[in-house]
Amino acid sequence: MASDLMSIAKSGARTARIALDVTAQNIANASSEGYVRRSVLLKEVSSSGGVGRVGDVSLSGSRLDQIVRNADLFRQAEVRRTGSDSSRATAEVAGLENVEAALEQANVYNAVVQFEGSLQQLASNPVDPSLRASVVEDARTMTGTLNIAASSLDAAGNGLRFEATDGVSQVNLLANELARVNLRLARAADSSSDQTSLLDQRDSLLQKLSDYVDVTTTIAGDHTVEVRMGGASGPALVSLGAASPLAMTTAVNGTISFDVGGTAVTPTGGALAGKSLALEKLADVKGKLDTIANTIISVVNTAQANGAALDGTTGGAMFSGSGAAGITLAFQDGKLIATAPAGAGANSRDPGNLSAMRTAFAAADPAGKTDSLIFDISSTVAGRTITRDALVSIAGAASVALAAQAGVDLDNEAVNLMRYQQAFQASGRVMQVASDLFDTLLGIR
Amino acid sequence: MTTLISTSTSAFYERSVQDMTSLRKQAEALQASLGSNQKLSRSSDDPVAASRLRVLTRADKLANIDETNANRATADLTLTDSALSSFATFITRARELATQAATGTLTPTQRSTIGVELDQIYGNLVTLANARDSAGHALFGGESAGDAYQLDASGNAVYIGTASSGELPISEGQTVQRGLTGPEFLNFDAGGGPTNLLAVVKDLATALQSGPDPQGSANASLTALGKGLEAVTTGQTLVGSRLSWIDLTTERRTNLGELRADEQEQIGAPDIGATIAQMQQLMVVLEASQAGFTKLAGLSLFNKIG
Repeated sequence: MASDLMSIAKSGARTARIALDVTAQNIANASSEGYVRRSVLLKEVSSSGGVGRVGDVSLSGSRLDQIVRNADLFRQAEVRRTGSDSSRATAEVAGLENVEAALEQANVYNAVVQFEGSLQQLASNPVDPSLRASVVEDARTMTGTLNIAASSLDAAGNGLRFEATDGVSQVNLLANELARVNLRLARAADSSSDQTSLLDQRDSLLQKLSDYVDVTTTIAGDHTVEVRMGGASGPALVSLGAASPLAMTTAVNGTISFDVGGTAVTPTGGALAGKSLALEKLADVKGKLDTIANTIISVVNTAQANGAALDGTTGGAMFSGSGAAGITLAFQDGKLIATAPAGAGANSRDPGNLSAMRTAFAAADPAGKTDSLIFDISSTVAGRTITRDALVSIAGAASVALAAQAGVDLDNEAVNLMRYQQAFQASGRVMQVASDLFDTLLGIR
Repeated sequence: MTTLISTSTSAFYERSVQDMTSLRKQAEALQASLGSNQKLSRSSDDPVAASRLRVLTRADKLANIDETNANRATADLTLTDSALSSFATFITRARELATQAATGTLTPTQRSTIGVELDQIYGNLVTLANARDSAGHALFGGESAGDAYQLDASGNAVYIGTASSGELPISEGQTVQRGLTGPEFLNFDAGGGPTNLLAVVKDLATALQSGPDPQGSANASLTALGKGLEAVTTGQTLVGSRLSWIDLTTERRTNLGELRADEQEQIGAPDIGATIAQMQQLMVVLEASQAGFTKLAGLSLFNKIG
């Protein structure tokens, strides 16, 4: 087969046009989310000579071999893994910070200290009505702050569960979308622009999915992906064209657990895992706060029952209810505080029972316990914040590394633009030459 | 900050934004600590320091109440002290009168007049024994709800208060007895048995006015009055030493308060100089990186290709 200068030039012009199109597409998508830079792979078209025509020159120009999608599977997996870790840590820290704020801003510690102080002040003159009234008011403040702390903790828990519910529906949405992309990928022709854009979609969906849960991916030969949750041996969330639904169950204490299509699973990464961890800590903190409230109730009420009120009657309970949410002040009248020992008679100035109450209160040390509780949660937050910052910067580095490799560099594209423009012009010139040659032949006379 | 040799346009913008945001955040955190004069904006900034600050605040609050209690005890003890001085004055006057009555040169009428004056003194002593403290309670009645002394049918003063006066917490586990009870300084042993000052004065007044041997009674009472004065001065010494104990604990509390304030300052307040210097450094870096960003972002090959 002989060569044809005109058709060689034509193929050259065509491939240059395609390369220019790809370059323009890259420039247009320089800041598109999830777009991976394409490049063209051109191949020469030529054939070796057949039987008896070994010496023939047989050249047919160039053709587009494939459009290369510059995605690095390893870097993409790294971005998903580190991103999953960082969103877990971020969600956990955000949840824990809410727990910390609920406890700290309610000022439980100060209120308990204030109550302790007003009992101490009452010792200076146990029959003083204003000092008695101030004990009652400080007791009211203390119950109020405990109630506020409990309800703020509940509000924080509700917020976390609401976000987790939203996360679950997002995961299901993404999983179904991914299953559809899988089906279309299985049918797409290799190296077609349809396939490359489906691959973009697949990767971007996987990345979004990894923000919510940890994903373990297996990519098949036809580029479809199988996604498992909770490690490589966990249940399959997406398997070819089918997605199993993720469901969330809330326990009595407010903690949450997950299952995929009925199989229980514990996400190890992603925002859902972070929220689940934060809710566990919240349940723990709430339990401890309830214990502190119950200690206050039992210590003060026991001491009250052992003494006599200002009118000489046996002291009644100062607090009723139970737990931080339930604690309430049982009486408003300062006269009912049992400062005197039992049987002391009316208007007794004997502070015997008040000292017993103060000793018991100091021994139970609700203020110290509140301090340790705040310390517990705040040091957890501090520790997790350091972990989060590390994970976020690792995730940032991974995504920058991917972007540097898969993203569009405008300078590079500018150079490509010139290169392929010149190639196109050169092919045009070749056509000119072919035409001149033909004219030369025609011009022989 | 990540550096890469090859870079994509969006990665360059993303990284620049990340770096500048981080710088800005640091500068804002410094500004917040300067503005609020608090190094910690929440406990998790430094859990250990925050917990220490809470403990210090609690100690401060309780120390303030200790101070109120100590002031109250000081007031009560000072009142006790001045009442005791009045007691001493009256006893001295009673001794003068008794000495006069013991002289043989006086007529029975004159002795009887002295007896009347002693009756008055007795009345004053009873009133004084029922004096009130700063809170309006019986000063010498211990923890009595009412008076310290009550007159019985025959006019004798009978102690109706409690056996001891209450203790007041004044500093971290230290307490002080806030006063004296009547019997603690009015009762003493004289003439071979226990007696009390009020009874001695009353008996003398009665004996001088209507007793069989007024001169002898006056003579006998001199020793008892001397013992009574002794008991009152002992009481004053006791009060004085309690006042100085309060002074001592107050001084200690003040010192501890200063130490606490110092520690609070160290833990909780930012070092202004260092913070400002740090902030200045951050601002310089931020400005430089902003200027660099503008330069780099303006560097597009498309501008050069004509």
